[in-house]
Amino acid sequence: MLPAAGEPAAGDSWGMLACLCTVLWHLPAVPALNRTGDPGPGPSIQKTYDLTRYLEHQLRSLAGTYLNYLGPPFNEPDFNPPRLGAETLPRATVNLDVWRSLNDRLRLTQNYEAYSHLLCYLRGLNRQAATAELRRSLAHFCTSLQGLLGSIAGVMAALGYPLPQPLPGTEPTWTPGPAHSDFLQKMDDFWLLKELQTWLWRSAKDFNRLKKKMQPPAAAVTLHLEAHGF
Amino acid sequence: MAVPVPWACCAVLAAAAAVVYAQRHSPQETPHVQYERLGSDVTLPCGTANWDAAVTWRVNGTDLAPDLLNGSQLVLRGLELGHSGLYACFHRDSWHLRHQVLLNVGLPPREPVLSCRSNTYPKGFYCSWHLPSPTYIPNTFNVTVLHGSKIMVCEKDPALKNRCHIRYMHLFSTVKYKVSISVSNALGHNTTAITFDEFTIVKPDPPENVVARPVPSNPRRLEVTWQTPSTWPDPESFPLKFFLRYRPLILDQWQHVELSDGTAHTITDAYAGKEYIIQVAAKDNEIGTWSDWSVAAHATPWTEEPRHLTTEAQAPETTASTTSSLAPPPTTKICDPGELGSGGGPSAPFFISVLVTLALAAAAAAAGSLLI
Repeated sequence: MLPAAGEPAAGDSWGMLACLCTVLWHLPAVPALNRTGDPGPGPSIQKTYDLTRYLEHQLRSLAGTYLNYLGPPFNEPDFNPPRLGAETLPRATVNLDVWRSLNDRLRLTQNYEAYSHLLCYLRGLNRQAATAELRRSLAHFCTSLQGLLGSIAGVMAALGYPLPQPLPGTEPTWTPGPAHSDFLQKMDDFWLLKELQTWLWRSAKDFNRLKKKMQPPAAAVTLHLEAHGF
Repeated sequence: MAVPVPWACCAVLAAAAAVVYAQRHSPQETPHVQYERLGSDVTLPCGTANWDAAVTWRVNGTDLAPDLLNGSQLVLRGLELGHSGLYACFHRDSWHLRHQVLLNVGLPPREPVLSCRSNTYPKGFYCSWHLPSPTYIPNTFNVTVLHGSKIMVCEKDPALKNRCHIRYMHLFSTVKYKVSISVSNALGHNTTAITFDEFTIVKPDPPENVVARPVPSNPRRLEVTWQTPSTWPDPESFPLKFFLRYRPLILDQWQHVELSDGTAHTITDAYAGKEYIIQVAAKDNEIGTWSDWSVAAHATPWTEEPRHLTTEAQAPETTASTTSSLAPPPTTKICDPGELGSGGGPSAPFFISVLVTLALAAAAAAAGSLLI
């Protein structure tokens, strides 16, 4: 799953990653499952939500192991570096009011695009000194993340939204700047894992919101309707 | 006529006292405020008076012994809290007030204790602080909140003076928050800071209005309902999950149930007739920590109305009593069904005794047939 180790110099790893990501972007989108008697997007939203929880749980142990592998200060709980570099990482952070007012299509699109990017970067997370166990855990996580992408694609298809296609020029490329030092590379890895964790938390909230909106009116459970001013 | 006279008398006396007071205090003599450390020694000079001037010192109007004086200066050793007060020195003969000192004995502040919490996620969070031990003198606190490199405003709480509130501008941030507090008073200052991620400080308030009710005709059930805490602003997008614990008052061990949604639950394994204590806690579905336990609800499961004892002394309380149609009076019951609540109440022992009799008879018959 991961590219062969040892090929590029540290400075070119992101360039190679860009090439790889470009290839992945143009892969055909995962087709949505057409089920007869489709109960609507509700069950697949629930499934997507459950996947984010599963992934978040998986990431916790993976990140712990990986940060220990990176060594101090990355594995220290108080580590609080300024966010420099890693500019192309998709950021989960969003203005509160903007997040609230996202329409369903945009909400799903942002999730899909974010995980596409993150999956791409994760696949490039290739350390020469990485242990076989670490490579195995990363590969397993990438597979699960691919599953999440497929699930989101399924929801979008069920709702009739087109999958985002990358416009020319906006592909996740990394402009090859000055050669990345080993420390800076580790910083990038740190931010990748941090952003991944935050995105999984955000997705849980995103899909909660979608779940509530999609709730069919004739629900078996009695809903306590309270007037909440949004 | 007799009443106004004493009042007029008091008014005159008060006016006279005020005049005397004013005479003893020249208008420009305002007390000098001084802060000194508990346990230390202090020497109070009598203003600009010479060392050998003849003066008398008073504290809060009470004369001080001359052995505390060093010339015209007052020496206090090993300051205690009781030493705080208004010290005044007077020219011994003319009683002219020379100098006043308002002495406050206290301590410099120890490192403050600071904590932050979000019970209103995603609206914002608050930070509160306190000193681990008192200083006995006024302190000022200064709180700064940094999000990465950006300074955020912490608005003072209108009611609580050791709390301030921060509003989230952005959600799902990977950058930590750093809250620092500095406390200072006249004798020193101290500071501390904490750093945290947006998600780790989320802790809702406990659920509200926890009510437990017995379920009619069900001696082992209790119906519990509650409400999401009113401070949680958006339960739709940020749903809470709940944790319920219950036990009969007579036991120490709690039973636990975790509920992923809904604000009601029916306990089905309650011991009949025992009073229960029930509490609920809440947590955001994905992030943060559990709330504190709610205010406890008490309830006892439904029990059938007690049968009236067959003594003349006791008059029945209601005429419509649901007496069992089965005959045996309570005094002949074989076992007490109350402990395990094996449904049915007082009629049970009769059935059990019948069954036991039948079983014994069957066993005897079988044994008899074997012996033959």
